[in-house]
Amino acid sequence: MNKVLIIDDDEELCELVSEYLSVEGFDADSVNDGETGLARALSGDYEMAILDVMLPKMDGFEVLRNLRKESKLPVIMLTARGDDMERIVGLEIGADDYLAKPFNPRELAARLRAILRRTAEPTNSEQVGEVIELDHVSISSSSRLATLDGDELNLTSVEFELLFELLRNAGKVVRKEDLSETVLDRKLSPFDRSLDMHISNLRKKLGNRDDGSVRIKTIRSVGYIYTVV
Amino acid sequence: MKLFLKIFLWFLAALALMFFVIVFVTRVFQVQPTVSRWERSAKNQLTFYKHATEQIEAGTGDEGVNEFLTRLKAYGYINDVALYDDKGNALFGTVVDHYSEATAKARESGEAAVIDRENEATFGAVPLTLKNGRTGFLIIQWEQMRIPPLFFDSWVGMLRLAGLLISAILFCALLAAYLTSPIRKLRRAAQRLAAGELNTRVKPQLPRRRDELADLARDFDEMAERIESLITSQERLTRDVSHELRSPLARMNVALELAKQRSGPELQPLLSRIEGESERLNEMISRILTLSKLESGAFDEFRGESLDLTEVVREVAADADFEAKAKGKAVDLVWSDECTIVGNENLLRSAIENVVRNAVKYTDDGTTVRVSVIADNGNAKIQIGDRGGGVPESELTNLFIPFYRLGAARDRKSGGTGLGLAIARRAVMAHKGQISARNVSGGLEVEIVLNRTNNGETAGH
Repeated sequence: MNKVLIIDDDEELCELVSEYLSVEGFDADSVNDGETGLARALSGDYEMAILDVMLPKMDGFEVLRNLRKESKLPVIMLTARGDDMERIVGLEIGADDYLAKPFNPRELAARLRAILRRTAEPTNSEQVGEVIELDHVSISSSSRLATLDGDELNLTSVEFELLFELLRNAGKVVRKEDLSETVLDRKLSPFDRSLDMHISNLRKKLGNRDDGSVRIKTIRSVGYIYTVV
Repeated sequence: MKLFLKIFLWFLAALALMFFVIVFVTRVFQVQPTVSRWERSAKNQLTFYKHATEQIEAGTGDEGVNEFLTRLKAYGYINDVALYDDKGNALFGTVVDHYSEATAKARESGEAAVIDRENEATFGAVPLTLKNGRTGFLIIQWEQMRIPPLFFDSWVGMLRLAGLLISAILFCALLAAYLTSPIRKLRRAAQRLAAGELNTRVKPQLPRRRDELADLARDFDEMAERIESLITSQERLTRDVSHELRSPLARMNVALELAKQRSGPELQPLLSRIEGESERLNEMISRILTLSKLESGAFDEFRGESLDLTEVVREVAADADFEAKAKGKAVDLVWSDECTIVGNENLLRSAIENVVRNAVKYTDDGTTVRVSVIADNGNAKIQIGDRGGGVPESELTNLFIPFYRLGAARDRKSGGTGLGLAIARRAVMAHKGQISARNVSGGLEVEIVLNRTNNGETAGH
């Protein structure tokens, strides 16, 4: 059973989600405020966390910020629907994924599974131990470590996989549809901009090359390309 | 006419009128009596000099008269003295001006006569009898009596007049400004309030004033206070209600999923129906929240960034096309000039998305929604046209009102939240753009006009 921590102040919702997730094969615990949530998330007992933004004592962003200082525990943020700012801020601080609340529980389970797949096991057998080094960037799928000029890049699991996919296909255009399926484990749906948002955060963390050229270029309406010098 | 100008001119006119009235009254009641007193005094002097001359002549003869008259002439205020006999021969002096007029008057009345005309020297004659029985006239010309004219006589007078005029204008201008400046402030405040700046207040701008205008300012502030609290509480209510609705909705979604897991196949269609309705409720709530956020002006001061409008439209059209294909419809970007604008991408994207999806919803099956981006002078025009039969002309402007339901066939096609176009309008307005709708060849065309920042006129398909 995969242990999941739910941090949300709505107790009834927590109960229902726990019940649903147990049917789906997860073992979910819940806490109802930010401080306890942070302590439990840091305890090392869990494989991932579901974190609501609106929380008493310490809001979700604060919890995530503190959590990320010490832990890479995968986190799905529950944001208010229609609030782009919450989404953007959440991903910037280091959430692995987000889900607009009220959410579809099937979607939640699917996202959790995608995260598990990304963190627990390598995406497919041929990538085991694969290390890509290119353009001062080094990325190792076995140790799940990405570095730039030897310094570790603090990437979320989604960003890590995105970078891995782009580097693997460096110099070639990777279609958005493919990225969505390989990295996010879901079909690209219209009006979904989460891929763009993850890419934009990844770009910020990577920065431009010394000569000012961009590493990851957008190919309009098609996808992205990791440029090769 | 501006109130300032009105007050200024009226007060200036009033001051001028007052000034002329004062000058006139002074002339009538002060100068005129002085003049008539002067005439009497001149007559008395003449009579006095006549007696003196007669007695001196009786005593010391012509020589005495000559000496007396010479002395008289030397007096400062007398200009000239003459003595004539009744045949007109000068016995002393040579005054000729008005001689006949004065003597005629004196002869007629038998006593001293004075001719006193404005701006002329006073002239007087008195008949007298000399010792040998001859009769004659003593004639005196006084120095011109000086009533100092108020103005126009010298540069000092001009200066005085100019000073008076300048101070009058200054005074009137100050007065007009004093009266109109609070009114101007009130007006500006009212405009700001109308534009949505609900925290506008006037009284702090008029700290020391205590009059009816200050009262008006206070009343205005009270009104603004009330409007502000009403609107903010209404906005907060909308926001809070929508927000609170989400918690039960979230629980319902999870419970529904559990129910789906545990129930037999006969209940699945109904549960899916409930799921669909809950999704719609959810959509409506997020749109109400978006709209209320837009209405509250939270986006009015967004950080504008340069963005590629054409690319945004292209993406939205591609997404919408993908969605439309499932319903046997299509979205086609038929014209795309390159346009960059300054704005908030998320906001604009949602505006365009709302309009395009709306068009997809209402366009007839098998038809295509045509989208174009047109660079037009300094503007970027986005036109989205459907083939859904259009709406009655009278309803065109109502399309952008939240929850407005058209009476016509469009109403039947359910699924809308009634907020898409309202959100689009607010988002476009936040970019100082315009959005309008019109009927074009069997469909509705919505046009969004935004300020363009690039100059490229490259057209492409």
